[in-house]
Amino acid sequence: MKITLFAASALALFAICANVSGQSQTPAPPAAKKQAAAKSTTADQDQKEGERRFRANCGRCHNPPESISPTEVNAVLRHMRVRAMLSAEDEELIRKYLAP
Amino acid sequence: MLWTATGLRAQTNAPILSGGVQFLSSTVGGNTFFQPAIAPVLVVPLGEHWLVESRADLRGFISHENGSSGPYSGQFIASLEYLQLDYIANSHVTVTVGRFLTPFNIYDERFTPFWIRDLQDAPIIFPIGTRTSGSNNGLMFRGVIAARKAWEVNYTAYFSVLSTTENLQSGRTAGGRMGVFFPLAGAEVGVSYQRFLQDVNYNSVGAYFTWQPPPIPLDVRSEYAHSPAGQGYWLEAAYHFSKSRGDTSRLGRLQGVARIQQFFKGTPTPGADLPLVDVNRFDFGLNYYLPHDVRVNGSYGRQYSSAGNANVWDAQISYRFLFPALPGVFK
Repeated sequence: MKITLFAASALALFAICANVSGQSQTPAPPAAKKQAAAKSTTADQDQKEGERRFRANCGRCHNPPESISPTEVNAVLRHMRVRAMLSAEDEELIRKYLAP
Repeated sequence: MLWTATGLRAQTNAPILSGGVQFLSSTVGGNTFFQPAIAPVLVVPLGEHWLVESRADLRGFISHENGSSGPYSGQFIASLEYLQLDYIANSHVTVTVGRFLTPFNIYDERFTPFWIRDLQDAPIIFPIGTRTSGSNNGLMFRGVIAARKAWEVNYTAYFSVLSTTENLQSGRTAGGRMGVFFPLAGAEVGVSYQRFLQDVNYNSVGAYFTWQPPPIPLDVRSEYAHSPAGQGYWLEAAYHFSKSRGDTSRLGRLQGVARIQQFFKGTPTPGADLPLVDVNRFDFGLNYYLPHDVRVNGSYGRQYSSAGNANVWDAQISYRFLFPALPGVFK
Protein backbone atom coordinates (compact mmCIF):
# COMPACT_ATOMS: atom_id res chain seq x y z
CA MET A 1 0.00 0.00 0.00
CA LYS A 2 2.82 2.34 0.98
CA ILE A 3 4.68 1.53 -2.23
CA THR A 4 1.57 2.18 -4.34
CA LEU A 5 1.02 5.52 -2.64
CA PHE A 6 4.66 6.50 -3.15
CA ALA A 7 4.56 5.53 -6.80
CA ALA A 8 1.33 7.46 -7.38
CA SER A 9 2.81 10.58 -5.69
CA ALA A 10 5.98 10.30 -7.74
CA LEU A 11 3.97 10.00 -10.96
CA ALA A 12 1.85 12.99 -10.02
CA LEU A 13 4.92 15.05 -9.20
CA PHE A 14 6.55 14.06 -12.49
CA ALA A 15 3.37 15.00 -14.39
CA ILE A 16 3.23 18.40 -12.69
CA CYS A 17 6.92 19.10 -13.36
CA ALA A 18 6.60 18.05 -16.98
CA ASN A 19 3.58 20.29 -17.44
CA VAL A 20 5.28 23.25 -15.77
CA SER A 21 8.47 22.88 -17.77
CA GLY A 22 6.41 22.57 -20.95
CA GLN A 23 4.52 25.76 -20.10
CA SER A 24 7.68 27.63 -19.19
CA GLN A 25 9.01 27.34 -22.76
CA THR A 26 8.09 30.26 -24.96
CA PRO A 27 6.20 28.85 -27.91
CA ALA A 28 7.89 29.67 -31.24
CA PRO A 29 5.84 31.90 -33.51
CA PRO A 30 4.18 29.84 -36.26
CA ALA A 31 6.04 31.79 -39.02
CA ALA A 32 9.45 31.05 -37.47
CA LYS A 33 8.50 27.39 -37.04
CA LYS A 34 7.47 27.20 -40.70
CA GLN A 35 10.71 28.91 -41.80
CA ALA A 36 12.86 26.56 -39.72
CA ALA A 37 11.01 23.53 -41.06
CA ALA A 38 11.42 24.76 -44.65
CA LYS A 39 15.14 25.38 -44.08
CA SER A 40 15.60 21.92 -42.64
CA THR A 41 13.67 20.35 -45.53
CA THR A 42 15.83 22.21 -48.09
CA ALA A 43 19.01 21.14 -46.29
CA ASP A 44 17.79 17.54 -46.24
CA GLN A 45 16.93 17.67 -49.92
CA ASP A 46 20.34 19.17 -50.74
CA GLN A 47 22.06 16.44 -48.77
CA LYS A 48 20.07 13.73 -50.53
CA GLU A 49 20.82 15.26 -53.91
CA GLY A 50 24.49 15.58 -52.86
CA GLU A 51 24.56 11.90 -51.97
CA ARG A 52 22.98 10.99 -55.30
CA ARG A 53 25.56 13.05 -57.19
CA PHE A 54 28.38 11.62 -55.10
CA ARG A 55 27.29 8.09 -55.97
CA ALA A 56 26.75 8.95 -59.63
CA ASN A 57 30.03 10.84 -60.15
CA CYS A 58 32.58 9.70 -57.58
CA GLY A 59 31.14 6.20 -57.10
CA ARG A 60 31.70 5.48 -60.77
CA CYS A 61 35.35 4.75 -59.97
CA HIS A 62 35.85 4.20 -56.26
CA ASN A 63 34.30 3.68 -52.85
CA PRO A 64 34.24 6.73 -50.62
CA PRO A 65 37.02 6.99 -48.01
CA GLU A 66 35.83 5.87 -44.60
CA SER A 67 35.99 9.40 -43.24
CA ILE A 68 36.73 12.87 -44.55
CA SER A 69 37.25 15.65 -42.02
CA PRO A 70 35.77 19.10 -42.69
CA THR A 71 39.34 20.42 -43.17
CA GLU A 72 39.94 17.96 -46.00
CA VAL A 73 36.63 18.26 -47.82
CA ASN A 74 37.47 21.29 -49.93
CA ALA A 75 40.72 19.90 -51.31
CA VAL A 76 39.10 16.51 -51.99
CA LEU A 77 36.25 18.16 -53.86
CA ARG A 78 38.50 20.48 -55.84
CA HIS A 79 40.62 17.46 -56.83
CA MET A 80 37.51 15.54 -57.90
CA ARG A 81 36.13 18.55 -59.71
CA VAL A 82 39.06 18.35 -62.11
CA ARG A 83 39.31 14.53 -62.25
CA ALA A 84 35.59 13.74 -62.53
CA MET A 85 34.69 17.00 -64.29
CA LEU A 86 32.16 17.99 -61.66
CA SER A 87 30.16 21.15 -62.18
CA ALA A 88 30.18 23.94 -59.60
CA GLU A 89 26.68 22.80 -58.57
CA ASP A 90 27.84 19.18 -58.17
CA GLU A 91 30.71 20.38 -55.99
CA GLU A 92 28.41 22.43 -53.76
CA LEU A 93 25.83 19.67 -53.30
CA ILE A 94 28.43 16.98 -52.65
CA ARG A 95 30.04 19.30 -50.08
CA LYS A 96 26.66 19.49 -48.28
CA TYR A 97 26.53 15.70 -48.27
CA LEU A 98 30.12 15.16 -47.08
CA ALA A 99 30.32 18.04 -44.61
CA PRO A 100 26.74 19.01 -43.68
CA MET B 1 33.33 37.07 -36.59
CA LEU B 2 36.70 37.97 -38.10
CA TRP B 3 38.18 34.80 -36.60
CA THR B 4 35.39 32.74 -38.17
CA ALA B 5 35.97 34.30 -41.60
CA THR B 6 39.71 33.67 -41.38
CA GLY B 7 39.06 30.13 -40.21
CA LEU B 8 36.79 29.47 -43.15
CA ARG B 9 39.32 30.85 -45.62
CA ALA B 10 42.04 28.71 -44.09
CA GLN B 11 39.79 25.66 -44.28
CA THR B 12 39.09 26.39 -47.93
CA ASN B 13 42.75 26.22 -48.86
CA ALA B 14 43.92 23.38 -46.63
CA PRO B 15 46.13 21.03 -48.68
CA ILE B 16 45.77 17.27 -48.32
CA LEU B 17 48.07 14.31 -48.62
CA SER B 18 46.32 11.21 -49.84
CA GLY B 19 47.20 8.05 -51.73
CA GLY B 20 47.90 4.42 -51.04
CA VAL B 21 50.41 1.89 -49.77
CA GLN B 22 50.48 -1.68 -51.01
CA PHE B 23 52.24 -4.99 -50.97
CA LEU B 24 51.58 -7.02 -54.10
CA SER B 25 52.66 -10.55 -54.82
CA SER B 26 52.34 -11.77 -58.41
CA THR B 27 53.08 -15.16 -59.88
CA VAL B 28 53.14 -15.22 -63.67
CA GLY B 29 53.85 -18.54 -65.34
CA GLY B 30 55.59 -19.82 -62.20
CA ASN B 31 57.76 -16.73 -61.65
CA THR B 32 56.96 -14.85 -58.48
CA PHE B 33 57.73 -11.22 -57.81
CA PHE B 34 56.80 -8.75 -55.11
CA GLN B 35 55.99 -5.08 -55.38
CA PRO B 36 55.85 -2.97 -52.24
CA ALA B 37 54.73 0.51 -53.28
CA ILE B 38 53.59 3.87 -52.04
CA ALA B 39 51.77 6.40 -54.19
CA PRO B 40 51.36 9.75 -52.46
CA VAL B 41 48.85 12.22 -53.86
CA LEU B 42 49.27 15.89 -52.95
CA VAL B 43 46.44 18.35 -53.52
CA VAL B 44 46.95 22.06 -52.88
CA PRO B 45 44.02 24.39 -53.55
CA LEU B 46 45.09 27.96 -54.27
CA GLY B 47 42.31 30.50 -53.97
CA GLU B 48 38.98 29.93 -55.64
CA HIS B 49 40.09 28.74 -59.08
CA TRP B 50 43.58 27.28 -58.88
CA LEU B 51 44.78 23.86 -57.88
CA VAL B 52 48.12 22.07 -57.80
CA GLU B 53 47.91 18.28 -57.75
CA SER B 54 50.51 15.60 -57.97
CA ARG B 55 50.91 11.83 -57.72
CA ALA B 56 54.13 9.87 -57.57
CA ASP B 57 54.67 6.13 -57.59
CA LEU B 58 57.58 4.70 -55.62
CA ARG B 59 57.92 0.95 -55.77
CA GLY B 60 60.30 -1.88 -55.28
CA PHE B 61 60.42 -4.78 -57.70
CA ILE B 62 61.71 -7.91 -56.00
CA SER B 63 62.15 -11.20 -57.85
CA HIS B 64 64.36 -14.28 -58.09
CA GLU B 65 67.55 -13.56 -60.00
CA ASN B 66 66.95 -16.57 -62.26
CA GLY B 67 63.24 -16.21 -62.76
CA SER B 68 61.83 -18.89 -60.48
CA SER B 69 64.97 -19.81 -58.54
CA GLY B 70 68.08 -18.31 -57.02
CA PRO B 71 68.41 -15.50 -54.52
CA TYR B 72 66.04 -12.58 -54.57
CA SER B 73 67.18 -9.27 -55.98
CA GLY B 74 65.36 -5.99 -56.14
CA GLN B 75 65.27 -2.70 -57.88
CA PHE B 76 63.64 0.59 -57.02
CA ILE B 77 61.41 2.36 -59.52
CA ALA B 78 60.15 5.91 -59.06
CA SER B 79 57.92 7.86 -61.38
CA LEU B 80 56.04 11.11 -61.27
CA GLU B 81 52.63 10.30 -62.70
CA TYR B 82 51.30 13.82 -62.64
CA LEU B 83 52.24 17.24 -61.39
CA GLN B 84 49.82 19.73 -62.78
CA LEU B 85 48.53 23.22 -62.27
CA ASP B 86 44.80 23.53 -62.94
CA TYR B 87 42.82 26.68 -63.55
CA ILE B 88 39.13 25.96 -63.07
CA ALA B 89 37.59 28.75 -65.14
CA ASN B 90 34.04 27.39 -64.85
CA SER B 91 32.12 24.13 -65.29
CA HIS B 92 32.88 24.16 -69.01
CA VAL B 93 36.64 24.76 -68.98
CA THR B 94 39.53 23.71 -66.81
CA VAL B 95 42.98 24.51 -68.17
CA THR B 96 45.78 22.22 -67.06
CA VAL B 97 49.46 22.76 -67.60
CA GLY B 98 52.28 20.46 -66.52
CA ARG B 99 52.47 16.69 -66.41
CA PHE B 100 49.13 14.90 -66.51
CA LEU B 101 47.71 11.41 -67.05
CA THR B 102 46.91 10.74 -70.69
CA PRO B 103 43.17 11.11 -71.17
CA PHE B 104 42.77 8.19 -73.58
CA ASN B 105 39.72 6.07 -72.75
CA ILE B 106 39.23 5.73 -68.98
CA TYR B 107 41.68 3.25 -67.47
CA ASP B 108 44.71 5.53 -67.22
CA GLU B 109 42.95 8.46 -65.58
CA ARG B 110 40.51 6.58 -63.38
CA PHE B 111 41.85 3.14 -62.52
CA THR B 112 45.63 3.30 -62.31
CA PRO B 113 45.66 3.93 -58.52
CA PHE B 114 46.26 0.48 -57.04
CA TRP B 115 43.84 1.16 -54.18
CA ILE B 116 41.04 1.80 -56.67
CA ARG B 117 41.40 -0.76 -59.45
CA ASP B 118 39.52 -3.99 -58.93
CA LEU B 119 42.14 -6.23 -60.59
CA GLN B 120 45.80 -5.42 -60.16
CA ASP B 121 47.01 -6.22 -63.69
CA ALA B 122 46.41 -3.47 -66.22
CA PRO B 123 44.55 -4.51 -69.37
CA ILE B 124 46.65 -5.73 -72.31
CA ILE B 125 45.53 -2.78 -74.48
CA PHE B 126 46.56 -0.21 -71.85
CA PRO B 127 49.64 0.96 -73.85
CA ILE B 128 47.42 1.93 -76.81
CA GLY B 129 46.91 5.68 -76.77
CA THR B 130 48.98 6.18 -73.62
CA ARG B 131 52.49 6.16 -75.12
CA THR B 132 55.06 6.62 -73.90
CA SER B 133 54.57 6.46 -70.13
CA GLY B 134 50.86 6.94 -69.47
CA SER B 135 51.60 10.60 -68.74
CA ASN B 136 52.08 13.64 -70.94
CA ASN B 137 53.88 16.94 -70.45
CA GLY B 138 51.94 19.78 -71.98
CA LEU B 139 48.63 21.57 -72.01
CA MET B 140 45.14 20.17 -71.55
CA PHE B 141 41.61 21.55 -71.66
CA ARG B 142 38.71 19.66 -70.11
CA GLY B 143 35.21 20.23 -68.87
CA VAL B 144 31.52 19.71 -69.47
CA ILE B 145 30.14 21.07 -72.74
CA ALA B 146 26.49 20.81 -71.76
CA ALA B 147 24.61 19.22 -68.88
CA ARG B 148 20.97 18.39 -68.17
CA LYS B 149 19.49 16.30 -65.39
CA ALA B 150 19.54 13.13 -67.51
CA TRP B 151 22.79 13.61 -69.46
CA GLU B 152 26.01 15.54 -69.73
CA VAL B 153 28.63 15.77 -72.44
CA ASN B 154 32.25 16.03 -71.31
CA TYR B 155 35.45 16.54 -73.25
CA THR B 156 39.23 16.56 -72.93
CA ALA B 157 41.74 17.89 -75.47
CA TYR B 158 45.50 18.04 -75.07
CA PHE B 159 48.87 18.48 -76.68
CA SER B 160 52.12 17.21 -75.23
CA VAL B 161 55.82 17.56 -75.98
CA LEU B 162 58.61 15.02 -76.18
CA SER B 163 60.54 14.45 -72.99
CA THR B 164 63.22 11.84 -72.45
CA THR B 165 64.12 12.98 -68.93
CA GLU B 166 64.22 10.02 -66.56
CA ASN B 167 60.95 9.57 -64.64
CA LEU B 168 59.35 12.33 -66.71
CA GLN B 169 59.10 10.61 -70.10
CA SER B 170 56.45 11.91 -72.44
CA GLY B 171 55.65 11.53 -76.12
CA ARG B 172 54.91 14.28 -78.60
CA THR B 173 51.22 13.68 -79.07
CA ALA B 174 47.88 15.37 -79.50
CA GLY B 175 44.51 13.92 -78.75
CA GLY B 176 41.26 14.07 -76.94
CA ARG B 177 38.27 12.28 -75.55
CA MET B 178 34.56 12.93 -75.60
CA GLY B 179 32.01 11.20 -73.43
CA VAL B 180 28.32 11.29 -72.65
CA PHE B 181 27.33 10.52 -69.07
CA PHE B 182 23.79 9.53 -68.14
CA PRO B 183 23.66 10.02 -64.34
CA LEU B 184 20.14 8.64 -63.84
CA ALA B 185 20.99 5.44 -65.68
CA GLY B 186 24.51 5.34 -64.22
CA ALA B 187 26.00 4.86 -67.69
CA GLU B 188 28.72 6.56 -69.70
CA VAL B 189 29.94 6.05 -73.25
CA GLY B 190 32.81 7.81 -74.96
CA VAL B 191 35.43 7.82 -77.66
CA SER B 192 39.14 8.73 -77.68
CA TYR B 193 41.68 9.73 -80.25
CA GLN B 194 45.44 10.22 -80.16
CA ARG B 195 47.92 11.21 -82.86
CA PHE B 196 51.47 10.14 -82.09
CA LEU B 197 53.66 12.87 -83.57
CA GLN B 198 57.22 11.61 -83.30
CA ASP B 199 59.22 8.95 -85.14
CA VAL B 200 56.48 7.18 -87.11
CA ASN B 201 53.28 9.20 -86.89
CA TYR B 202 50.14 7.16 -86.35
CA ASN B 203 46.64 7.29 -84.93
CA SER B 204 45.18 5.44 -81.97
CA VAL B 205 41.44 5.36 -81.43
CA GLY B 206 39.38 4.01 -78.59
CA ALA B 207 35.91 3.69 -77.15
CA TYR B 208 34.66 2.97 -73.65
CA PHE B 209 31.52 2.14 -71.76
CA THR B 210 30.69 2.08 -68.03
CA TRP B 211 27.45 1.16 -66.33
CA GLN B 212 26.37 1.16 -62.70
CA PRO B 213 22.68 0.25 -62.63
CA PRO B 214 21.52 2.50 -59.74
CA PRO B 215 19.73 -0.08 -57.56
CA ILE B 216 22.44 -2.75 -57.89
CA PRO B 217 26.06 -2.50 -56.53
CA LEU B 218 27.40 -3.67 -59.88
CA ASP B 219 30.14 -1.99 -61.95
CA VAL B 220 30.42 -2.88 -65.60
CA ARG B 221 33.33 -1.37 -67.52
CA SER B 222 34.72 -1.92 -70.95
CA GLU B 223 37.25 -0.44 -73.34
CA TYR B 224 38.17 -0.99 -76.95
CA ALA B 225 41.36 0.42 -78.48
CA HIS B 226 42.99 0.23 -81.88
CA SER B 227 46.43 1.22 -83.15
CA PRO B 228 48.60 -0.05 -86.01
CA ALA B 229 50.43 -2.24 -83.46
CA GLY B 230 47.25 -4.09 -82.53
CA GLN B 231 43.74 -3.84 -81.23
CA GLY B 232 41.67 -5.36 -78.48
CA TYR B 233 39.10 -4.94 -75.78
CA TRP B 234 38.41 -5.79 -72.17
CA LEU B 235 35.14 -6.18 -70.31
CA GLU B 236 35.01 -6.20 -66.51
CA ALA B 237 32.16 -6.70 -64.06
CA ALA B 238 32.43 -6.25 -60.29
CA TYR B 239 29.64 -7.03 -57.85
CA HIS B 240 29.70 -5.75 -54.26
CA PHE B 241 27.76 -8.04 -51.92
CA SER B 242 26.50 -5.05 -49.95
CA LYS B 243 22.93 -5.22 -51.23
CA SER B 244 21.64 -7.85 -48.82
CA ARG B 245 23.22 -6.85 -45.48
CA GLY B 246 24.80 -3.41 -45.93
CA ASP B 247 28.34 -2.19 -46.61
CA THR B 248 29.73 -3.04 -43.18
CA SER B 249 28.45 -6.60 -42.80
CA ARG B 250 30.94 -9.42 -43.27
CA LEU B 251 29.42 -10.36 -46.58
CA GLY B 252 28.81 -6.75 -47.57
CA ARG B 253 32.55 -6.03 -47.51
CA LEU B 254 33.15 -8.58 -50.24
CA GLN B 255 33.36 -7.81 -53.94
CA GLY B 256 33.68 -10.32 -56.74
CA VAL B 257 35.31 -9.33 -60.02
CA ALA B 258 35.60 -10.95 -63.44
CA ARG B 259 37.29 -9.68 -66.58
CA ILE B 260 37.74 -11.03 -70.09
CA GLN B 261 40.02 -9.54 -72.69
CA GLN B 262 41.23 -10.22 -76.19
CA PHE B 263 44.12 -8.72 -78.10
CA PHE B 264 44.79 -9.06 -81.81
CA LYS B 265 48.31 -8.26 -83.02
CA GLY B 266 48.98 -5.68 -85.69
CA THR B 267 52.15 -4.43 -87.36
CA PRO B 268 55.08 -4.68 -84.93
CA THR B 269 55.86 -1.10 -83.81
CA PRO B 270 58.99 -0.28 -81.77
CA GLY B 271 58.07 1.16 -78.40
CA ALA B 272 54.41 0.18 -78.66
CA ASP B 273 54.78 -2.14 -75.63
CA LEU B 274 52.14 -4.54 -76.97
CA PRO B 275 52.27 -8.34 -77.42
CA LEU B 276 53.57 -9.57 -80.78
CA VAL B 277 51.01 -12.41 -80.80
CA ASP B 278 47.27 -12.68 -80.29
CA VAL B 279 46.33 -13.04 -76.62
CA ASN B 280 43.14 -14.13 -74.86
CA ARG B 281 42.82 -13.82 -71.12
CA PHE B 282 40.30 -14.09 -68.31
CA ASP B 283 40.63 -13.11 -64.64
CA PHE B 284 38.55 -13.73 -61.53
CA GLY B 285 39.16 -11.92 -58.27
CA LEU B 286 37.83 -11.20 -54.81
CA ASN B 287 38.28 -7.90 -52.97
CA TYR B 288 37.58 -7.59 -49.27
CA TYR B 289 37.14 -4.09 -47.87
CA LEU B 290 38.29 -4.04 -44.25
CA PRO B 291 37.68 -1.13 -41.86
CA HIS B 292 40.03 1.88 -41.98
CA ASP B 293 40.36 1.81 -45.78
CA VAL B 294 42.39 -1.39 -45.85
CA ARG B 295 41.67 -3.77 -48.71
CA VAL B 296 42.90 -7.28 -49.37
CA ASN B 297 42.40 -9.01 -52.66
CA GLY B 298 43.36 -12.02 -54.64
CA SER B 299 42.85 -12.97 -58.24
CA TYR B 300 43.51 -15.75 -60.69
CA GLY B 301 43.94 -15.28 -64.41
CA ARG B 302 44.70 -17.53 -67.33
CA GLN B 303 46.39 -16.20 -70.43
CA TYR B 304 46.29 -18.00 -73.79
CA SER B 305 48.65 -17.12 -76.63
CA SER B 306 50.78 -18.82 -79.26
CA ALA B 307 53.82 -17.76 -77.21
CA GLY B 308 52.61 -20.03 -74.40
CA ASN B 309 49.75 -20.20 -71.92
CA ALA B 310 50.26 -19.00 -68.38
CA ASN B 311 48.51 -18.76 -65.03
CA VAL B 312 48.60 -15.41 -63.27
CA TRP B 313 48.07 -15.24 -59.50
CA ASP B 314 47.91 -11.92 -57.67
CA ALA B 315 47.53 -11.20 -53.96
CA GLN B 316 47.56 -7.69 -52.56
CA ILE B 317 46.98 -5.74 -49.41
CA SER B 318 46.55 -2.00 -49.72
CA TYR B 319 45.77 0.91 -47.47
CA ARG B 320 44.33 4.18 -48.66
CA PHE B 321 45.28 7.20 -46.58
CA LEU B 322 43.97 10.75 -46.44
CA PHE B 323 45.01 13.47 -44.05
CA PRO B 324 45.78 17.20 -43.98
CA ALA B 325 49.20 17.95 -45.49
CA LEU B 326 49.89 20.67 -42.94
CA PRO B 327 48.18 19.54 -39.74
CA GLY B 328 47.80 22.28 -37.20
CA VAL B 329 48.26 25.09 -39.73
CA PHE B 330 44.75 24.91 -41.12
CA LYS B 331 41.76 24.55 -38.79
